[in-house]
Amino acid sequence: MLTALRKQAFRLFREAETRHHELNYLFWECTTRCNLRCRHCGSDCSQDSAFPDMPLGDFLAALDTIENPAKNLTVVLTGGEPLLRKDLEKCGQEIKKRGMRWSMVTNGHLYDEEKHGSLLGAGLGALTISLDGLESSHNWLRNSSASFDRVTKAIALAAASPRLNFDVVTCVNQINFRELPQIRETLINLGVKAWRLFTIIPIGRAKDIPELRLTDEQFKGLMEYIAEARESGGIKVSFSCEGYVGPYESLVRDTPFLCRAGINIGSVLIDGAISACPNIDRSFAQGNIYRDNFFQVWQSQFKPFRDRSWMRRGQCAGCSEFKDCRGNGFHNWHGDKQNVLVCHYEKISNYV
Amino acid sequence: MKRGWIRKLIGGLSFGSALFIFQACYGTPQDLEFDMLIEGTVKSTATGLPVKGIKVSVPDYGSSQITGEDGKYSLYTMFIDSTRISFEDTDLNVDGAFLKKDTLIAVPQERVQLNVMLSPK
Repeated sequence: MLTALRKQAFRLFREAETRHHELNYLFWECTTRCNLRCRHCGSDCSQDSAFPDMPLGDFLAALDTIENPAKNLTVVLTGGEPLLRKDLEKCGQEIKKRGMRWSMVTNGHLYDEEKHGSLLGAGLGALTISLDGLESSHNWLRNSSASFDRVTKAIALAAASPRLNFDVVTCVNQINFRELPQIRETLINLGVKAWRLFTIIPIGRAKDIPELRLTDEQFKGLMEYIAEARESGGIKVSFSCEGYVGPYESLVRDTPFLCRAGINIGSVLIDGAISACPNIDRSFAQGNIYRDNFFQVWQSQFKPFRDRSWMRRGQCAGCSEFKDCRGNGFHNWHGDKQNVLVCHYEKISNYV
Repeated sequence: MKRGWIRKLIGGLSFGSALFIFQACYGTPQDLEFDMLIEGTVKSTATGLPVKGIKVSVPDYGSSQITGEDGKYSLYTMFIDSTRISFEDTDLNVDGAFLKKDTLIAVPQERVQLNVMLSPK
Protein backbone atom coordinates (compact mmCIF):
# COMPACT_ATOMS: atom_id res chain seq x y z
CA MET A 1 0.00 0.00 0.00
CA LEU A 2 2.72 2.45 1.06
CA THR A 3 4.89 1.37 -1.88
CA ALA A 4 2.03 2.00 -4.32
CA LEU A 5 1.43 5.45 -2.82
CA ARG A 6 5.09 6.35 -3.07
CA LYS A 7 5.16 5.14 -6.66
CA GLN A 8 2.16 7.31 -7.48
CA ALA A 9 3.66 10.32 -5.68
CA PHE A 10 6.86 9.84 -7.65
CA ARG A 11 4.98 9.86 -10.95
CA LEU A 12 3.38 13.16 -9.93
CA PHE A 13 6.78 14.49 -8.93
CA ARG A 14 8.22 13.48 -12.31
CA GLU A 15 5.40 15.35 -14.08
CA ALA A 16 5.99 18.43 -11.92
CA GLU A 17 9.73 18.31 -12.67
CA THR A 18 9.03 18.00 -16.38
CA ARG A 19 6.66 20.98 -16.38
CA HIS A 20 8.99 23.07 -14.24
CA HIS A 21 12.09 22.07 -16.33
CA GLU A 22 14.56 24.06 -14.27
CA LEU A 23 18.08 23.94 -15.66
CA ASN A 24 20.12 22.45 -12.80
CA TYR A 25 22.87 20.68 -14.65
CA LEU A 26 24.69 21.83 -17.77
CA PHE A 27 27.30 19.78 -19.58
CA TRP A 28 29.95 21.65 -21.49
CA GLU A 29 31.77 19.48 -24.01
CA CYS A 30 34.76 21.81 -23.85
CA THR A 31 37.07 19.62 -25.92
CA THR A 32 36.91 16.38 -27.88
CA ARG A 33 40.66 15.93 -27.73
CA CYS A 34 41.67 13.00 -25.57
CA ASN A 35 44.96 11.56 -24.33
CA LEU A 36 43.55 8.03 -24.38
CA ARG A 37 41.76 5.92 -26.94
CA CYS A 38 39.42 3.87 -24.77
CA ARG A 39 37.78 0.83 -26.31
CA HIS A 40 34.33 1.81 -25.04
CA CYS A 41 34.32 5.51 -25.94
CA GLY A 42 30.83 6.51 -27.00
CA SER A 43 32.12 9.76 -28.47
CA ASP A 44 34.87 8.24 -30.62
CA CYS A 45 37.29 10.75 -29.07
CA SER A 46 40.94 10.68 -30.06
CA GLN A 47 44.16 12.66 -29.87
CA ASP A 48 43.48 14.31 -33.22
CA SER A 49 39.96 15.64 -32.78
CA ALA A 50 38.19 17.07 -35.80
CA PHE A 51 37.01 20.00 -33.68
CA PRO A 52 39.11 22.68 -32.01
CA ASP A 53 38.37 23.28 -28.31
CA MET A 54 35.46 25.65 -27.86
CA PRO A 55 36.78 29.11 -26.90
CA LEU A 56 35.82 30.01 -23.32
CA GLY A 57 34.27 33.30 -24.46
CA ASP A 58 31.84 31.49 -26.77
CA PHE A 59 30.62 29.28 -23.95
CA LEU A 60 30.35 32.19 -21.50
CA ALA A 61 28.23 34.13 -23.98
CA ALA A 62 25.77 31.20 -23.94
CA LEU A 63 25.95 30.96 -20.14
CA ASP A 64 25.19 34.67 -19.82
CA THR A 65 21.83 34.20 -21.53
CA ILE A 66 20.54 32.22 -18.53
CA GLU A 67 18.10 34.37 -16.59
CA ASN A 68 17.93 33.76 -12.83
CA PRO A 69 20.02 30.60 -12.83
CA ALA A 70 18.93 27.88 -10.41
CA LYS A 71 20.63 28.11 -7.03
CA ASN A 72 22.72 24.98 -7.50
CA LEU A 73 23.23 25.10 -11.24
CA THR A 74 26.33 23.02 -11.91
CA VAL A 75 28.35 23.28 -15.11
CA VAL A 76 29.96 19.91 -15.79
CA LEU A 77 33.09 20.07 -17.93
CA THR A 78 33.42 16.99 -20.06
CA GLY A 79 35.12 15.88 -23.23
CA GLY A 80 37.27 14.35 -24.59
CA GLU A 81 39.57 14.96 -21.66
CA PRO A 82 38.99 18.39 -20.05
CA LEU A 83 42.45 18.39 -18.41
CA LEU A 84 44.01 18.85 -21.87
CA ARG A 85 42.72 22.42 -21.86
CA LYS A 86 45.36 24.88 -20.68
CA ASP A 87 42.76 27.41 -19.53
CA LEU A 88 40.76 25.08 -17.29
CA GLU A 89 41.30 27.17 -14.14
CA LYS A 90 40.20 30.30 -15.99
CA CYS A 91 37.09 28.45 -17.22
CA GLY A 92 36.24 27.46 -13.65
CA GLN A 93 36.81 30.93 -12.23
CA GLU A 94 34.58 32.53 -14.85
CA ILE A 95 31.79 30.05 -14.14
CA LYS A 96 32.08 30.69 -10.39
CA LYS A 97 32.05 34.45 -10.96
CA ARG A 98 28.60 34.01 -12.45
CA GLY A 99 27.35 32.42 -9.23
CA MET A 100 27.32 28.91 -10.70
CA ARG A 101 29.14 25.79 -9.60
CA TRP A 102 31.41 23.67 -11.72
CA SER A 103 32.64 20.13 -11.82
CA MET A 104 34.52 17.82 -14.15
CA VAL A 105 34.58 14.29 -15.52
CA THR A 106 38.13 13.07 -16.16
CA ASN A 107 40.18 9.98 -16.93
CA GLY A 108 42.58 11.22 -14.22
CA HIS A 109 45.80 10.88 -16.24
CA LEU A 110 46.85 14.50 -15.83
CA TYR A 111 45.37 14.97 -12.36
CA ASP A 112 48.39 15.43 -10.11
CA GLU A 113 48.89 17.31 -6.84
CA GLU A 114 49.56 20.64 -8.54
CA LYS A 115 46.49 20.36 -10.76
CA HIS A 116 44.39 19.26 -7.78
CA GLY A 117 45.40 22.43 -5.91
CA SER A 118 44.89 24.83 -8.79
CA LEU A 119 41.49 23.40 -9.72
CA LEU A 120 40.27 23.54 -6.12
CA GLY A 121 41.54 27.11 -6.03
CA ALA A 122 39.48 27.82 -9.14
CA GLY A 123 36.37 26.57 -7.36
CA LEU A 124 36.09 22.97 -8.54
CA GLY A 125 33.27 21.53 -6.46
CA ALA A 126 32.72 18.01 -7.74
CA LEU A 127 34.73 15.45 -9.62
CA THR A 128 34.26 12.05 -11.20
CA ILE A 129 37.13 9.77 -12.17
CA SER A 130 36.79 6.47 -14.02
CA LEU A 131 38.31 3.24 -12.78
CA ASP A 132 37.31 0.32 -14.95
CA GLY A 133 38.75 -2.66 -13.20
CA LEU A 134 41.82 -4.06 -11.54
CA GLU A 135 45.10 -3.24 -13.26
CA SER A 136 44.97 -5.41 -16.37
CA SER A 137 41.25 -5.05 -17.11
CA HIS A 138 41.33 -1.29 -16.52
CA ASN A 139 44.38 -0.89 -18.77
CA TRP A 140 42.76 -3.11 -21.41
CA LEU A 141 39.62 -0.94 -21.56
CA ARG A 142 41.64 2.27 -21.47
CA ASN A 143 44.07 0.98 -24.08
CA SER A 144 47.02 2.16 -22.02
CA SER A 145 49.52 0.24 -19.91
CA ALA A 146 50.13 3.23 -17.61
CA SER A 147 46.53 4.12 -16.93
CA PHE A 148 45.83 2.18 -13.73
CA ASP A 149 48.83 3.63 -11.86
CA ARG A 150 48.01 7.17 -12.83
CA VAL A 151 44.32 6.88 -12.14
CA THR A 152 44.69 5.33 -8.70
CA LYS A 153 47.05 8.17 -7.72
CA ALA A 154 44.50 10.72 -8.93
CA ILE A 155 41.72 8.93 -7.06
CA ALA A 156 43.70 8.96 -3.81
CA LEU A 157 44.28 12.71 -4.16
CA ALA A 158 40.65 13.52 -4.87
CA ALA A 159 39.31 11.18 -2.19
CA ALA A 160 41.43 12.93 0.45
CA SER A 161 39.85 16.30 -0.27
CA PRO A 162 37.20 17.33 2.26
CA ARG A 163 35.89 19.88 -0.24
CA LEU A 164 35.20 17.79 -3.31
CA ASN A 165 31.99 15.90 -3.91
CA PHE A 166 33.83 13.03 -5.46
CA ASP A 167 32.90 9.68 -6.87
CA VAL A 168 34.43 6.94 -8.96
CA VAL A 169 32.60 5.37 -11.88
CA THR A 170 33.15 1.94 -13.34
CA CYS A 171 31.89 0.73 -16.69
CA VAL A 172 31.01 -2.86 -15.96
CA ASN A 173 31.71 -5.29 -18.79
CA GLN A 174 32.43 -8.99 -19.27
CA ILE A 175 36.15 -8.54 -18.50
CA ASN A 176 35.79 -6.77 -15.13
CA PHE A 177 32.47 -8.25 -13.99
CA ARG A 178 34.04 -10.81 -11.65
CA GLU A 179 36.41 -8.23 -10.17
CA LEU A 180 33.73 -6.03 -8.62
CA PRO A 181 34.37 -7.13 -5.00
CA GLN A 182 38.13 -6.48 -5.38
CA ILE A 183 37.54 -3.14 -7.08
CA ARG A 184 35.31 -2.19 -4.15
CA GLU A 185 38.09 -3.11 -1.70
CA THR A 186 40.62 -1.12 -3.74
CA LEU A 187 38.38 1.95 -3.65
CA ILE A 188 37.76 1.66 0.09
CA ASN A 189 41.52 1.46 0.62
CA LEU A 190 41.96 4.60 -1.48
CA GLY A 191 39.49 6.44 0.75
CA VAL A 192 36.67 6.68 -1.80
CA LYS A 193 33.19 7.28 -0.35
CA ALA A 194 30.99 6.83 -3.43
CA TRP A 195 31.13 4.37 -6.33
CA ARG A 196 28.77 4.42 -9.29
CA LEU A 197 28.40 1.53 -11.68
CA PHE A 198 27.42 1.71 -15.33
CA THR A 199 26.99 -0.64 -18.17
CA ILE A 200 28.14 0.20 -21.67
CA ILE A 201 25.66 0.85 -24.43
CA PRO A 202 26.64 -0.16 -27.97
CA ILE A 203 27.42 3.23 -29.49
CA GLY A 204 30.65 4.76 -30.79
CA ARG A 205 33.62 2.38 -30.64
CA ALA A 206 31.79 0.17 -28.11
CA LYS A 207 29.35 -1.19 -30.66
CA ASP A 208 32.02 -3.35 -32.30
CA ILE A 209 33.28 -5.07 -29.12
CA PRO A 210 30.86 -7.70 -27.79
CA GLU A 211 32.83 -8.30 -24.53
CA LEU A 212 31.84 -4.83 -23.43
CA ARG A 213 28.18 -5.81 -23.09
CA LEU A 214 26.98 -7.86 -20.15
CA THR A 215 24.90 -10.94 -20.78
CA ASP A 216 21.41 -10.90 -19.26
CA GLU A 217 22.64 -13.23 -16.52
CA GLN A 218 25.56 -10.93 -15.74
CA PHE A 219 23.33 -7.87 -15.73
CA LYS A 220 21.02 -9.44 -13.21
CA GLY A 221 24.10 -10.48 -11.23
CA LEU A 222 25.23 -6.85 -11.27
CA MET A 223 21.90 -5.75 -9.78
CA GLU A 224 22.24 -8.41 -7.07
CA TYR A 225 25.79 -7.32 -6.36
CA ILE A 226 24.88 -3.63 -6.02
CA ALA A 227 21.91 -4.41 -3.76
CA GLU A 228 24.16 -6.51 -1.51
CA ALA A 229 27.03 -3.99 -1.52
CA ARG A 230 24.66 -1.19 -0.49
CA GLU A 231 23.81 -3.20 2.61
CA SER A 232 27.46 -3.84 3.46
CA GLY A 233 28.48 -0.19 3.91
CA GLY A 234 32.09 1.04 3.78
CA ILE A 235 31.42 2.84 0.51
CA LYS A 236 28.20 4.07 -1.05
CA VAL A 237 27.54 1.92 -4.11
CA SER A 238 24.85 2.74 -6.64
CA PHE A 239 23.71 1.95 -10.13
CA SER A 240 23.80 4.93 -12.48
CA CYS A 241 20.59 6.48 -13.75
CA GLU A 242 21.16 4.96 -17.20
CA GLY A 243 18.00 2.88 -17.23
CA TYR A 244 14.92 1.51 -15.52
CA VAL A 245 15.52 -1.71 -13.61
CA GLY A 246 12.01 -2.67 -12.45
CA PRO A 247 12.15 -4.80 -9.29
CA TYR A 248 15.63 -3.52 -8.42
CA GLU A 249 14.68 0.17 -8.49
CA SER A 250 14.51 0.56 -4.72
CA LEU A 251 17.54 -1.67 -4.13
CA VAL A 252 20.27 -0.18 -6.32
CA ARG A 253 19.69 3.60 -6.12
CA ASP A 254 18.54 6.19 -3.60
CA THR A 255 15.62 7.30 -5.76
CA PRO A 256 13.59 5.73 -8.57
CA PHE A 257 14.64 6.03 -12.19
CA LEU A 258 14.09 9.42 -13.75
CA CYS A 259 15.97 10.36 -16.90
CA ARG A 260 16.35 14.12 -16.50
CA ALA A 261 17.91 14.70 -19.93
CA GLY A 262 16.32 17.85 -21.36
CA ILE A 263 14.18 18.17 -18.22
CA ASN A 264 16.85 19.45 -15.83
CA ILE A 265 19.97 18.58 -17.83
CA GLY A 266 21.21 20.53 -20.82
CA SER A 267 24.45 20.66 -22.75
CA VAL A 268 26.56 22.79 -25.01
CA LEU A 269 28.41 20.44 -27.32
CA ILE A 270 31.76 20.94 -29.04
CA ASP A 271 30.24 22.40 -32.23
CA GLY A 272 27.91 24.71 -30.29
CA ALA A 273 24.92 22.37 -30.53
CA ILE A 274 22.44 22.68 -27.66
CA SER A 275 21.23 19.36 -26.37
CA ALA A 276 21.00 17.29 -23.17
CA CYS A 277 23.57 14.65 -22.12
CA PRO A 278 26.54 14.44 -24.53
CA ASN A 279 25.99 10.72 -25.22
CA ILE A 280 22.55 11.37 -26.71
CA ASP A 281 22.21 11.01 -30.47
CA ARG A 282 23.39 14.31 -31.93
CA SER A 283 20.37 14.53 -34.20
CA PHE A 284 18.35 15.54 -31.11
CA ALA A 285 20.15 18.92 -30.95
CA GLN A 286 17.63 21.68 -30.23
CA GLY A 287 19.64 24.65 -31.45
CA ASN A 288 23.16 26.03 -31.62
CA ILE A 289 24.79 28.71 -29.49
CA TYR A 290 26.39 30.22 -32.61
CA ARG A 291 22.94 30.87 -34.04
CA ASP A 292 20.44 30.87 -31.16
CA ASN A 293 19.96 32.29 -27.68
CA PHE A 294 20.85 29.37 -25.43
CA PHE A 295 18.29 30.06 -22.72
CA GLN A 296 15.47 30.73 -25.15
CA VAL A 297 16.17 27.35 -26.70
CA TRP A 298 16.19 25.74 -23.25
CA GLN A 299 12.83 27.28 -22.41
CA SER A 300 11.02 26.92 -25.70
CA GLN A 301 12.42 23.75 -27.31
CA PHE A 302 13.32 20.32 -25.90
CA LYS A 303 9.83 18.95 -26.59
CA PRO A 304 11.01 15.39 -27.45
CA PHE A 305 12.74 15.34 -24.06
CA ARG A 306 9.81 16.64 -22.03
CA ASP A 307 7.10 14.69 -23.77
CA ARG A 308 8.36 11.15 -24.25
CA SER A 309 5.14 9.68 -25.57
CA TRP A 310 6.89 9.33 -28.97
CA MET A 311 9.01 6.60 -27.36
CA ARG A 312 5.98 4.33 -27.20
CA ARG A 313 7.22 2.44 -30.23
CA GLY A 314 9.24 -0.65 -30.96
CA GLN A 315 9.29 -2.90 -27.93
CA CYS A 316 8.14 -0.02 -25.69
CA ALA A 317 4.81 0.16 -27.56
CA GLY A 318 2.98 -2.45 -25.54
CA CYS A 319 5.14 -2.51 -22.42
CA SER A 320 3.30 -2.34 -19.10
CA GLU A 321 6.32 -0.70 -17.41
CA PHE A 322 6.26 2.36 -19.68
CA LYS A 323 4.48 4.50 -17.08
CA ASP A 324 7.52 4.21 -14.81
CA CYS A 325 10.26 3.65 -17.39
CA ARG A 326 9.24 6.27 -19.99
CA GLY A 327 11.34 4.71 -22.73
CA ASN A 328 14.45 4.15 -20.57
CA GLY A 329 17.44 6.54 -20.60
CA PHE A 330 17.24 9.00 -23.48
CA HIS A 331 20.71 7.99 -24.70
CA ASN A 332 19.24 4.60 -25.61
CA TRP A 333 17.53 6.13 -28.65
CA HIS A 334 19.96 6.26 -31.53
CA GLY A 335 19.98 5.92 -35.30
CA ASP A 336 16.50 5.59 -36.77
CA LYS A 337 15.02 5.74 -33.25
CA GLN A 338 12.46 3.08 -34.00
CA ASN A 339 13.34 1.01 -30.96
CA VAL A 340 15.17 1.37 -27.69
CA LEU A 341 18.81 0.31 -27.99
CA VAL A 342 18.98 -1.39 -24.59
CA CYS A 343 16.07 -2.32 -22.33
CA HIS A 344 17.46 -2.95 -18.85
CA TYR A 345 14.10 -4.23 -17.67
CA GLU A 346 14.08 -6.82 -20.44
CA LYS A 347 17.55 -8.00 -19.50
CA ILE A 348 16.35 -8.65 -15.96
CA SER A 349 13.11 -10.28 -17.11
CA ASN A 350 14.94 -12.51 -19.59
CA TYR A 351 16.94 -14.12 -16.85
CA VAL A 352 14.62 -15.61 -14.25
CA MET B 1 9.40 29.32 -9.09
CA LYS B 2 5.69 29.23 -9.98
CA ARG B 3 5.27 25.54 -9.29
CA GLY B 4 8.25 25.19 -7.01
CA TRP B 5 6.24 24.46 -3.87
CA ILE B 6 4.25 21.72 -5.60
CA ARG B 7 7.34 19.80 -6.66
CA LYS B 8 8.90 20.24 -3.22
CA LEU B 9 5.75 18.98 -1.52
CA ILE B 10 5.34 15.94 -3.77
CA GLY B 11 9.07 15.24 -3.73
CA GLY B 12 9.17 15.53 0.05
CA LEU B 13 6.21 13.17 0.46
CA SER B 14 7.63 10.55 -1.85
CA PHE B 15 11.37 10.38 -1.23
CA GLY B 16 12.58 13.43 0.66
CA SER B 17 15.26 15.86 -0.39
CA ALA B 18 17.32 13.12 -2.08
CA LEU B 19 15.12 13.63 -5.12
CA PHE B 20 16.48 17.10 -5.70
CA ILE B 21 20.09 16.00 -5.55
CA PHE B 22 20.83 14.11 -8.71
CA GLN B 23 23.55 13.51 -11.23
CA ALA B 24 23.39 12.81 -14.91
CA CYS B 25 24.33 9.22 -15.65
CA TYR B 26 27.63 10.22 -17.23
CA GLY B 27 28.16 13.32 -15.10
CA THR B 28 29.51 14.19 -11.67
CA PRO B 29 27.77 14.46 -8.32
CA GLN B 30 26.13 17.82 -7.72
CA ASP B 31 28.07 20.32 -5.67
CA LEU B 32 26.16 21.61 -2.66
CA GLU B 33 28.97 23.09 -0.53
CA PHE B 34 29.66 26.75 0.20
CA ASP B 35 32.93 28.38 -0.74
CA MET B 36 34.84 31.39 0.44
CA LEU B 37 36.62 33.51 -2.18
CA ILE B 38 39.91 34.97 -0.97
CA GLU B 39 41.54 37.53 -3.20
CA GLY B 40 44.20 40.18 -2.95
CA THR B 41 47.65 41.33 -3.99
CA VAL B 42 51.07 40.22 -2.80
CA LYS B 43 53.70 42.99 -2.60
CA SER B 44 57.30 43.28 -1.48
CA THR B 45 58.03 45.13 1.79
CA ALA B 46 61.31 46.24 0.25
CA THR B 47 60.03 47.81 -2.95
CA GLY B 48 56.27 48.05 -2.49
CA LEU B 49 55.92 46.42 -5.90
CA PRO B 50 53.72 43.42 -6.73
CA VAL B 51 55.41 40.02 -6.54
CA LYS B 52 54.69 37.32 -9.07
CA GLY B 53 55.28 33.58 -8.65
CA ILE B 54 54.07 33.37 -5.08
CA LYS B 55 52.12 30.22 -4.29
CA VAL B 56 49.06 31.14 -2.26
CA SER B 57 47.56 28.04 -0.70
CA VAL B 58 45.26 26.63 1.92
CA PRO B 59 47.45 23.78 3.20
CA ASP B 60 44.69 22.04 5.14
CA TYR B 61 42.34 21.81 2.14
CA GLY B 62 44.69 21.74 -0.83
CA SER B 63 43.57 24.68 -2.95
CA SER B 64 46.29 26.88 -4.36
CA GLN B 65 47.15 29.52 -6.92
CA ILE B 66 50.27 31.30 -8.15
CA THR B 67 50.29 35.11 -8.28
CA GLY B 68 50.52 36.66 -11.72
CA GLU B 69 52.61 39.56 -13.02
CA ASP B 70 50.44 42.03 -11.09
CA GLY B 71 50.90 40.08 -7.83
CA LYS B 72 47.18 39.34 -7.74
CA TYR B 73 45.53 36.09 -6.74
CA SER B 74 41.98 34.84 -6.40
CA LEU B 75 41.37 31.57 -4.59
CA TYR B 76 38.32 29.53 -3.56
CA THR B 77 38.36 27.42 -0.45
CA MET B 78 35.93 25.84 2.00
CA PHE B 79 33.64 28.14 3.95
CA ILE B 80 34.83 27.26 7.46
CA ASP B 81 36.20 28.91 10.59
CA SER B 82 39.94 29.47 10.94
CA THR B 83 41.37 29.09 7.47
CA ARG B 84 45.16 29.16 7.38
CA ILE B 85 46.57 30.77 4.23
CA SER B 86 50.16 30.28 3.24
CA PHE B 87 52.26 32.52 0.95
CA GLU B 88 55.38 30.87 -0.39
CA ASP B 89 57.91 31.86 -3.02
CA THR B 90 58.11 29.31 -5.83
CA ASP B 91 60.39 31.05 -8.34
CA LEU B 92 63.11 31.97 -5.87
CA ASN B 93 65.53 33.65 -8.22
CA VAL B 94 63.29 35.35 -10.75
CA ASP B 95 62.43 38.51 -8.82
CA GLY B 96 64.30 37.86 -5.60
CA ALA B 97 63.55 35.39 -2.84
CA PHE B 98 60.88 36.05 -0.21
CA LEU B 99 60.25 34.65 3.22
CA LYS B 100 57.26 32.38 3.65
CA LYS B 101 54.30 33.86 5.49
CA ASP B 102 51.22 32.28 7.04
CA THR B 103 48.08 34.10 8.05
CA LEU B 104 44.73 33.11 9.50
CA ILE B 105 41.20 34.02 8.45
CA ALA B 106 39.28 33.50 11.67
CA VAL B 107 35.78 34.45 10.53
CA PRO B 108 34.61 33.10 7.17
CA GLN B 109 32.90 35.41 4.70
CA GLU B 110 31.69 34.83 1.18
CA ARG B 111 34.43 37.13 -0.10
CA VAL B 112 37.60 38.11 1.74
CA GLN B 113 40.11 40.73 0.61
CA LEU B 114 43.58 39.81 1.84
CA ASN B 115 46.57 41.89 0.72
CA VAL B 116 49.93 40.66 1.94
CA MET B 117 53.44 42.15 2.16
CA LEU B 118 56.32 39.68 1.91
CA SER B 119 59.84 40.36 3.18
CA PRO B 120 62.86 39.52 1.05
CA LYS B 121 65.14 36.79 2.36
